[in-house]
Order: sequence, then structure tokens, then C-alpha cells
Amino acid sequence: MQTYLALARLAFQRQFAYRAANLAGLATNAFFGALRAYVLIALFNAQGAERVAGYSIRDAVTYTGLTQALIAYIALWGWWDMIRSIRTGEVASDLSRPVDYFGYWCAQDVGRAAAHMLWRGLPMMALYALFYRIALPPTVLHWLALIPALALALWVSFGWRFLVSLAAFWTHDAVGIGRAAWTLTVFLSGFLMPLAFLPPWMKAVMSLTPFPAMVNTPIEVYLGLMDGSALLGALAVQAFWVIVLYALAQTVLAAGVRKLVIQGG
Amino acid sequence: MSLYLRLISVSIRSQMQYRFSFVVDTLGSAFATLLEFLTLAAVFSRFGSIGGWTLGEVAFLYGLVEIGFATMDIVFSGFDPGYFSQQIRRGTFDQFLLRPVSLVLQMFSSEFILRRVGRIAQGAAVFAISLALAHIAWTPGKLLYLPIVLVSVVAFFGGLFVIGATSCFWTVESLEVINVFTYGGSAMLAYPMHIYGDWLRRFFTFVVPGALLIYYPALYFLDKPDPIGLPRFVSFLAPLAGFGVLAVAFAFWQVGVRKYTSTGT
Repeated sequence: MQTYLALARLAFQRQFAYRAANLAGLATNAFFGALRAYVLIALFNAQGAERVAGYSIRDAVTYTGLTQALIAYIALWGWWDMIRSIRTGEVASDLSRPVDYFGYWCAQDVGRAAAHMLWRGLPMMALYALFYRIALPPTVLHWLALIPALALALWVSFGWRFLVSLAAFWTHDAVGIGRAAWTLTVFLSGFLMPLAFLPPWMKAVMSLTPFPAMVNTPIEVYLGLMDGSALLGALAVQAFWVIVLYALAQTVLAAGVRKLVIQGG
Repeated sequence: MSLYLRLISVSIRSQMQYRFSFVVDTLGSAFATLLEFLTLAAVFSRFGSIGGWTLGEVAFLYGLVEIGFATMDIVFSGFDPGYFSQQIRRGTFDQFLLRPVSLVLQMFSSEFILRRVGRIAQGAAVFAISLALAHIAWTPGKLLYLPIVLVSVVAFFGGLFVIGATSCFWTVESLEVINVFTYGGSAMLAYPMHIYGDWLRRFFTFVVPGALLIYYPALYFLDKPDPIGLPRFVSFLAPLAGFGVLAVAFAFWQVGVRKYTSTGT
């Protein structure tokens, strides 16, 4: 456990070195947030109703800020660290460490994510609060529920990113596979538009995948769109995916390590 | 010109060497735009229109921007600020200066990222959807102007790329703010300009004149009046705006090269 904390802390501190890049990234995120807010406002104005699928205009604008704030936190645009380490051969020394390989990367990801929440996520919401009237979680319970929702969202995202990165054990084209995987993630997670706005059949199909648990769920928890048993159910679904992806990851990893050892010695 | 084509064909052939890799890479990048548009189309049924524009009309803007930007992305790959900053950092740009071939020609032929062709295909698909949905009254004038607009769009975004690359002569790392103009600009121009706030609209009409390349020509093609009330001839300023930006960009480039070569790296 000490090792994991140390790895996380180092990854957290590492982000401090990138604070200029993070600030610049924040500016870009803010610009795109503003664009998406304008689009949603225009859509709502065309519709004329006060609420659409439970969302008010304020909820919709807040949604654009929250999704932009989550980008860095769950590495939504892509995560290449592990694939790179496998390509360069660093993986050999990583695997021989007395730490579980999954845990090794997970701990670092948690550290990185915490730093990104601090440097990108929270400042984004602060900027939004400055320029827009944003929605806030309606009750103390919703504020508290945000903690497990965000933690589980990160772990679901990490489990998926780890699994995808394992492709590098088998092929040189892991980058291409990664690109396709991250595109799929963005599309199915509820990042582009609230899933509630999609036709019910589309939303139902997407809910069969782990991706809504990464973005749509924590946002709907924040906006207070779920109460009581529905809220618990959503968190349970997130936990379900964390476990499933973890089990898959370890299984595929075992196969990958065997292949690596047989190939390279 | 024939030298350029020969260099490009070498680049293409080397990218095609790993055929599976190329296919995976192309497909991986291929679906992002299409999925984004499909998401918009999926929610459109709830809202009906955006800024008074129908889905088919928005698709016209969307498709036009995507085809133009994606084409630029391939042709101007050598000036992609992200890649160019690497060239500067590694010192490989210096080799260009030593060769007895035009610098600009080398820049254009240094990269030709074919996998980005997937994005052109998507743009074309969205544009085709627009042609099917929006009932455009085609005239010989419009048919003549359309390819002019497309080429102008390529010139416009190409100019932004060149400006971004030139800034690397001073900052080495490419400036994040350029991404706001290129990627942010293309995202913004995919929707009718009047949904945006005054400051944003005026900036992208008069300072970084993207609107003159997409929105105002679209008003002409779709026979729509300008809610902001600018005169009709503004729709025909696309080539002036596009090549004007490109000319300014290359003037800036010359300044940058002179500065780089005079400081005796």
C-alpha cells in the first residue's frame, strides 16, 4: 500500500512540472466549453420548453462545463503512457518490479488524475461559475455522492485504458487501436451530448457499455437528476464495471506477459 | 511541382508499407467526426432546429468545414505546429536550410499524413447528408463558387497552421492558443454564427475571418438572409479572406526564418 501511495504521490507531483501546459490546456477547454454552451443554449431556445429530459438550460450549460472539466481527469482524449512503455521495452523492467503491474499503473493514474482535477477540473468549474450561473448539487447527499461517483468513474476509465493499452503486448499498431478506442469512448460516454437527450433506444444500447459510467453518471449525480435507489443503482453499475474491467485486465495481462516472455526471453 | 509530387509519393508509399497499420490508423481516426455529427442528429429530433437552421443546413456548414480542414490537415502536415515544434527541438529543421531546394517545398513535402484522409471522407459524408436534406437551389454561379470556397478554406486553415509553426521559431513549443483558432475555430464554424455571443462572432468575422469562409458563403448557397445584416457581397469574400490569411502567414514565416537563421543556432 505504501508503494502505491508513493507512486501516486510522485505522479501527482510530476504534473506540477507541466503547469504551463495545463494552464494552456485549461484555456482551450474553456473555449470549447463556451462553444458547446452556445450550441446547447441555441437548441433549448429553439425548443422553447423549460426542461428537456429533466435538464434545464442551466443544467445543460453546467453539463458542458462538467464534461470539459472531466477531460483531463479521466484522460478522455487518450492515454499513451503504458503503450509507450511497452513499445520502448521499459515494460520489461516494469514487470519485474515487486508490484502488481495493474496496481503500478493504477496508482500513478490516480496521482495524475488528482493533479488534473486540481489544475484543470476545479479551475474549469470556477471559470464557469464566473461567467455562467451554474447548477450545483441540490443536497448534501448529492455532494457526498459525488466522491464515490468520481472515484469510480476514474477507475472504470482506467480499467478500460489499461485493457486497451494491453494491445501493445501483441501488436505494433497499438496506437491505431488506441485511437479507435478513445474515439469510441468519447462517443459512448455521454461527453458529446447528455445521454438523456438521445433517443431512448440509443441510450439503452450505450448503457450496456462501461462508458456512460465514466462521464454521464458522475454528471447526473452532480446535477441531482437521480435520487435514492436510482442514485445507488448508478453507483453500483459503476462499481460493477470497475470489477469487470479489472478482472478482464488481469486475465488479458497474464496472457500478454506469457507472450512477451516467450518472444523476448 | 513534380519534385513535390515525387516526395509526397515517397511519403505515401512509406506510410502504406505497413498496410494493416495504415488501415487501422485511418479507421481509428475515421469515425470521430461522423459520430459527433450523428450525435447532433440524434438529439435534433428533440429540439427541431438551432438558431433557426435545420439539420440539413447545419450539415452544410459542418461538411464544408470538415472537408476543408481535413484537406488542409493533410496538405499542410509539414506545418502542423505540433510536428514542427518537434522538428525545431530535434534540430532536423536545420537540415532543410542546408539543402539546395526551396524551404517551403521541403516543408510541404516533409509530412503528408495520409491517415487523415478518413476525416475528408467523413466530411464528404456529412456534406452529402446536407445535400440530401437541405433543398439547395443550385445555380451555375453556386456550382462555380463551391470549389473556390473549398480551396479558400484550405488556404485559411493552412495559414493558421503556418502562423502556428512560425511561432515555434520564438517559443520552440507550439502555442496552445493556436489550437483555439484551428481546432476551436473549425468546431465553431460548424454551426451558424448567430448563435454565438457578439464578441466571439465579431472576432471570427473581422479578426480571424473564419466566418467569411464558411458561414457567409453558406448564406449564399442556402439562400438565407443574414440576421446580423451585413451586405450580400460579404458571401463572396471567401477567396480574399482565405488567401489573405495565407499571405500574411507566409510573410510572418519569412520573418521567422530570417530570425532563426540570423541568430546562428
